[in-house]
Formats: sequence, C-alpha cells, structure tokens
Amino acid sequence: MADAHAEHGEVQIDESLKTHVCSGGQFFGVYIALLFLTIVTVGVSYFDFGDFNMLIAMAIASCKAALVMAIFMHLRWDTPINNIAFIGSLIFLSLLFLFTVADFSTRSDMEPVHGIPAEVNNAFDWKSK
Amino acid sequence: MTTNVPVADVAIEEQPKENYLNCSKGFWSWAGTLDHKRIGVMYLIGTTMAFLTGGIFALGIRVQLWSPDGVMFTQETGLAGYNQMFTLHGVFMVFMFIIPAIPGALANFALPLMLGAKDVALPRLNLASFYLWLIGTGFAIYSILTGAVDTGWTFYTPYSIQTEQSVVSMGLAVFILGFSSIFTGMNFIVTCHKLRAPGQTWFRMPLFCWAIYATAILQVLATPVLGITVLMLAFEHLYHIGIFDPAYGGDPVLFQHFFWFYSHPAVYIMILPGMGVISEVVSVHARKPLFGYRLMAFSAISIAVISFIVWGHHMFTSGQSEFVMMAFSFLTFLVAIPTAIKEFSWVATIWKGSIALTAPMLYAMAFLVIFSIGGLTGIFLGALSTDIHLHDTYFVVAHFHAVMMGSTALAFFAGVHHWWPQIFGKMYNETLAKISACFTLVGFMVTFLPQFMMGSQGMPRRYATYLPEWQGYHQVSTIGAFILGTGFALMIGYLVHSLFAGKPARENYWGGATLDWKTATPPVHTNFDEDPVVTTDEIYDYSFLSEEKGKA
Amino acid sequence: MSHAVLETPTPSGGNFRPHKVAHHFTSAVQEFQSLKLAFWLFLVTEVMLFGGLFAGYYIYHEQYLETFVACGKLLNRELGSLNTIILLTSSWTMAMGVRACQRSKQREMINWLWLTVLCACGFMVVKYFEYTAKFDHGVFPGSFFAPDETYAPFFEGLLHPNIFFSFYFTMTGIHGFHVLLGIFAILWLIWQGGKGRFHAGFSAPVDLIGLYWHIVDLIWIFLFPLLYLVP
Repeated sequence: MADAHAEHGEVQIDESLKTHVCSGGQFFGVYIALLFLTIVTVGVSYFDFGDFNMLIAMAIASCKAALVMAIFMHLRWDTPINNIAFIGSLIFLSLLFLFTVADFSTRSDMEPVHGIPAEVNNAFDWKSK
Repeated sequence: MTTNVPVADVAIEEQPKENYLNCSKGFWSWAGTLDHKRIGVMYLIGTTMAFLTGGIFALGIRVQLWSPDGVMFTQETGLAGYNQMFTLHGVFMVFMFIIPAIPGALANFALPLMLGAKDVALPRLNLASFYLWLIGTGFAIYSILTGAVDTGWTFYTPYSIQTEQSVVSMGLAVFILGFSSIFTGMNFIVTCHKLRAPGQTWFRMPLFCWAIYATAILQVLATPVLGITVLMLAFEHLYHIGIFDPAYGGDPVLFQHFFWFYSHPAVYIMILPGMGVISEVVSVHARKPLFGYRLMAFSAISIAVISFIVWGHHMFTSGQSEFVMMAFSFLTFLVAIPTAIKEFSWVATIWKGSIALTAPMLYAMAFLVIFSIGGLTGIFLGALSTDIHLHDTYFVVAHFHAVMMGSTALAFFAGVHHWWPQIFGKMYNETLAKISACFTLVGFMVTFLPQFMMGSQGMPRRYATYLPEWQGYHQVSTIGAFILGTGFALMIGYLVHSLFAGKPARENYWGGATLDWKTATPPVHTNFDEDPVVTTDEIYDYSFLSEEKGKA
Repeated sequence: MSHAVLETPTPSGGNFRPHKVAHHFTSAVQEFQSLKLAFWLFLVTEVMLFGGLFAGYYIYHEQYLETFVACGKLLNRELGSLNTIILLTSSWTMAMGVRACQRSKQREMINWLWLTVLCACGFMVVKYFEYTAKFDHGVFPGSFFAPDETYAPFFEGLLHPNIFFSFYFTMTGIHGFHVLLGIFAILWLIWQGGKGRFHAGFSAPVDLIGLYWHIVDLIWIFLFPLLYLVP
C-alpha cells in the first residue's frame, strides 16, 4: 500500500529514530570481563566444593549472562517492556523449575501407601539411593 | 496492488464501495496478502475445516459407542482404530481448531480495528503464521496417511515411544503448529503495545483486546516448552534418547510435567479468547457498558498468570509427590476467583440491559450456561481427593468439553455471527441462525450431561467397549452428538449461503460502540478512512444510538 | 491519513539506500520499537525452549549424580573452554558490528560481521572434533550408545550413563543448530549490508540478529559449566 501512496510523490524524512550507541571501550571492557570470568569458572572447577560446585558455577555463569544482557544486548538502555519481557521469561521458567524439582525432591515423603512395595513407591525418589 | 481509481464523491452510491475484499483480485492477492483482515478470513476458513474434520471424528466416536461391544470396531476386527479416531479428534480440535480459531480468525480481523491500527505490527509474520498452520496441518494429515497416531492428543510416554512411527510426524505437526501459535501471539502483544491509536490507552481497550493480550502472553511463554517436549519425544522415538523412557533410566512423569506446563496454560489459550468474544457480544447485544471493566481486564491477566502454577492437577494419579499435589490442588482453586469475576460480570452486564435476542446473543447465553457447568465441575476435578475417583472417567471428558466445546467453540461461533456482517458485508438468515443456536445448546446438554453421570459412576474414557449398564447413557449421548452435528451443519449451510445470496449488511449492523464498528462495512483496505482518535473512557457507551434515532 | 511516505535519513559515506517506514507505522521509532519488542518476545521463546532442557538436565543431574559426575569428566574441558572463548569473542565482534551499523560505518560493520562468522565457524569446527572424538569410542546418543573397550570401564557400575550423553548431544546439538542458523543470518546481513541497506536510519535487522547471536552465546554460557565443569 505504501507504494500506492508513493504515487502522490510526497516523501517525509523522519529523524526521530535515535538508538543508544555504546562506546567501543565499553564493549571491550565487557569482553575482557567475560574472558576473565571464564578463566575463573574453569579454574574453580579443578577444586571440589562438594554441593557448592553447582552454585558457584551457576553464580559465575549468571554474572556473565548479566553482563551480556545488560551491555551487549543493550537491555540497560532499552525500554522497560523489553526488560519486563525478558526478565518475565526467567520468572516463568523458574516456575517450571520450582514445581518439577519440588515433585522430584519430595516424592514419597509422606507415609507409604499400604500394599505398594517400597521399591515401587520409591522408584523415583532422590533420597532412596 | 490497488489501482488508484479516482472516485468522484457523487458517484459513491452508484457503484459498490471499495473494501478490503474487492480492492484486489486473483489468487495471489489472497495467498500473498499482508492484510490482517484477509489473513483472518483465510484462518476462518481453515480452522472451520479443521473443526468439521474433528467433528466427523467425534461423530465416529459416538457411533462406535452406540453399543457396548462397539459398532465400527469390535473385538473381532480390532479396536485400535478407535484409539486413532479419538486421537485425531483431539489433535484436530485442539491444535488445529480451538487454539488458532479465535486468535487467528476473529482477533486477526477485529483486534487491529479495535485498537485503531492500520494492521498488526508484523504483517509478514502474520502471514507466515497462517502458512505454518497449513504446513502443520499438512504434517498431521501425512501422519494419518502413514498409519494414524493412537496415543491420545497428550502423547504420553512410554506408550508414545513404542507405538507407530507416525507419532514423529504428528509431533512435528504439533511443533510447527506451536510456532504458528507463537507468531500469532507475538504479533498481538506487539500490536497492543505499539500500535494503539492516539488516545487508545490501555484501559480504553475493548475487553476482547485484553483477553487476546493475555492469551498472547501464554502463547509466547508456554508454547516453546511444548515445542521442546515434542522434539524430545521425536528423538525418543527415533533414537531412544531415554529421557522419558523408563527402560533407559528416564522418567515418564517428567514428560507429563513438561507437557502440562504447556497444555494447562493452553486450555486458557483456548478459553481466554472466548471470554473476550463473550465480553464484546453481551455488551453490544444488551446495549450496556460492560460491568466491572477493570476487574475484567485484570482477571484476564491473572488467569494467564495463575495458569502457569496449576498444571499438576492433570497428574494427580501419575505418582508425583503428594506435597506437590496438595500445592497444585490448592493453587487450582485460585483460578475460580478471576473466572467467577468474569462470569458474574457478564451476567451483571446483561441484567436490566436492553437485551436483543439475536443469534450471537443466543450463542453467548448458551456459553454462559455451559461455562458455569464446565467451571463448577472443574472445581470437583481440582480437588485432590475427588479427582482420584474421577480421574480418566467420562466426568473429565464432559468437563473439558463443557469448557472447550460448549464454551470456546460456542464463543467462537458467537463471534463469527457477531462479526460476520462486518467481515463480509453480508447478512445471514437470522431465523435459521437462532434455530441453529438452540440446536447447539440442546445438543450439547443431551450429549454431555449423560457423560457427567456415567463418569461419576466410573465409565472410563478412551475405551472402545464398555459394560452394558452404561448403554442408555451412551445412546442418549450419541443422539445428542447428532443434534449438535445437525446444528453445525445448518450453520455452515446458511453462513455459506449468505456469502453468495445474503442481503448486504448495513453499516454498523449491531450498533457496536467500539472502533471495529466505527468504520465502513466491510472495512477498507487500510481499515479507516481517517485515522481514529479515542477521546473517551466510556468505550461501551451506546447513547449515540438513541441520538441517531432522535435525529432520524 | 497521511499520504506521504516516511523515510529515515539516509547517511552519506557508502552506497546506502533510503529506508521506507512500513505503511502501518506512523513513525520510524514506532517501527523500530515494534520490531525490537517482537524480537525480544522471540528470545523469550528461546529461553523457554532451552529452559525445558535445562530443567530436565537438572533433575537427572540430581537423580543420577554419580553418573553425571563421572560422565562429565569424559568431556574435553580444554576444548569446551576454547569454544567458550571463541563464542564470547564472536559475541563481542557482533556487538561491535551493531555499533558500526548504528554509526553508519558500512565497511567496518561488514568486517566485524565477517569476524563473527569466522568465530562461529571455528566453534562448529571444534564441536565437530569433540563429537567425533566421542563417536569414535561408540559414545552415541540414545539407543546407539555402545562404548568401546577404552570407554566401557568408565561406565562400569554407573546407572544409565546414556542419559548424560543424551542430554549432552541434545542440548549441544540444538545449540549447534542455532549457531548454524546464526551463521546464515549473519551472512545474509553481510550480503544485504554490502548493498547498503543497513545504516543509522535502519539498523533493526543487524540489531536483532545481533540480539539473537547474544542469546546463543548466553545459552552456551550456561551449557558450558553445566556439562563440562559442574559434574
């Protein structure tokens, strides 16, 4: 349809579009920080912290992710709705995690049902191993 | 595309007005169109075809159940065909009709008009969504030809891993249809955010837009999880990756979690647009502003949010943790609050209104009755202890048909009848339409009330044969299904007839107050001749009608 | 209704072409913001898609902790780290490419984009070596899982080691598929960018494919420690 109107010959220039441009130094700084965090997370992985392994690795990964999101993906300067959309997805994803993990971690915590053999009742219980 | 014929102002009465239907001609002007109204019409045709296909499967199911030993499939001939039939009924109705029907057909047509936009935000994506729907449907048909799926529409593992190869192509079909649905949802969210006309603030949006917006959130957030689940199911079938297969150390309940993380929000993807349609229809046909506008808007959003934390109530007998079951059961009751707000607000809207018993209004009233039944029986099923008894019986079948068929499908048809003059500029035979609406309501009751009763007595779903004591119920139900079928056949008949021989519809046929009625009938290609501006909070204000009458 | 065609300013210093704003938008800002929001919603679907896999991984990680710990050690940590560094570099070059586009530097943008493609191909090459190293020892996904005599002793006494490798191949496979798609998308940008379609007045495609590329990187940022380091 735009072409149909173009026959009228009028062209207006819209100069209102302004996007935020980061400085090259900013990007390079983030890049160096990401490399540094990668070295840290690989280095840390050679030590065993038991149950904290997962936590430490995920904390470092989250820091890296936050840097990528905020600077590389411009979220810091982006409109609120884009931020809400992305953070919202993480919230809803955490619901998926919350309830499925809650299921697997609390299976057969209650009194065993009469007549069902324990190995059937506990077939998928993390604590029965 | 268009040839700009200079239109002399005086001649306008003489020749048929240019509108989006006649502004360009030829196959490619439709197949390659970026106009949301034309895409809506194509969706309308496509989803209705899917509905008829699914409906034929439904009638097949009911015929089979006429006698306890089965009519079409018996022990001697093998019962597997019955399983394929109810699977195809489910897949066609859910993925190809209910989910895309109202957003794809009605919202595509009406939402940009209601917002005062010239089109949806991403017209190409909109067209792509329709073609994905076509491709997905193609895959589904291919899977029928290569030996139909017999798992039920839920594809539960481990059975779906062992059964026919066609599960893979059906999974692919669902994956593609999912992306079609995601694209539609993305488009509507962006349209609601960025393309509202000047003055069209969030709380001046018609409730249909709110409902579609809430639906779109669900489509975008939930559908990808279904995508990855069916993808893993396909891998499971092809390579036995073992994630859902107990033989390889996987857990089939995890499949159910993933599946219902999508499919519970999906039932709101199905019903929320229907609620939106009903909001518009009751307001226009009762000539009253919608009762509790803000609460209605918030309740749409809160239904969307709550739907993400209740999926486990589909799995009460699956062996998931008892604590989680209690949590899911409790959370399920929360859904009743916003849903009841909606139901009561519709009733309050009609109350003391100037009710016109038009065809759309009859459909809407049937919706209100059946939706109450569907909603209230949902509470039984959400309650943990009752559900253990009722799980996988005909009570569940009747419950979700009350919500899906009796509510969403009826809302869809209410919407079709409501916007028909605006979409096509033609009017159908209203007397026949009213008769068809009555057929539908009666047919629904006759079909599904016996199912509630035999379900509560323990008749299990998905059985090709049954004990003789339920024969009476089944036979009444089968008769009801044919009454429903008659109603729908009649409807298709007069609607198609109206396209060719219907009377031209006058402008603003029902006297609606929202922007979708404040344009030509049917609308012009760019929706509005003058860019609309919304100046009032009273978007459902019908006083202009009496003023017009006064002038006349 | 305005009958004028809206155009964004066309910069000089290259063979830049004017960009017409689509007819249903009233301003270039509205068009850009719409495209961007839509793309963020698409990224949301990507997050949810991979999120399902992550949830499954986490549950089986807890379920078969010993298996996952032992199998994770079989993955090549050095190659994994190398790939992480390659992908982070590509993310940086992509960000610089978007920056060049926003400042209407045509040549610079295309150079950065080529660097990104180079890194992406490097990632796929390393991935290829990692995969074949596993395939050579009969470590295949799913029911083809049949480790040879070198690997078989590792799996002795472990419950369902095939599950770990199913996740490994599914997750890195789907991620690799996204990298491949990304390569084609960036090549398209280079092609169209050479024709001067992208500049400060119309940076949306570069911007959005950049976002896509970052999310591919983002997913790898989580995949890498989960598969290679934590077990």
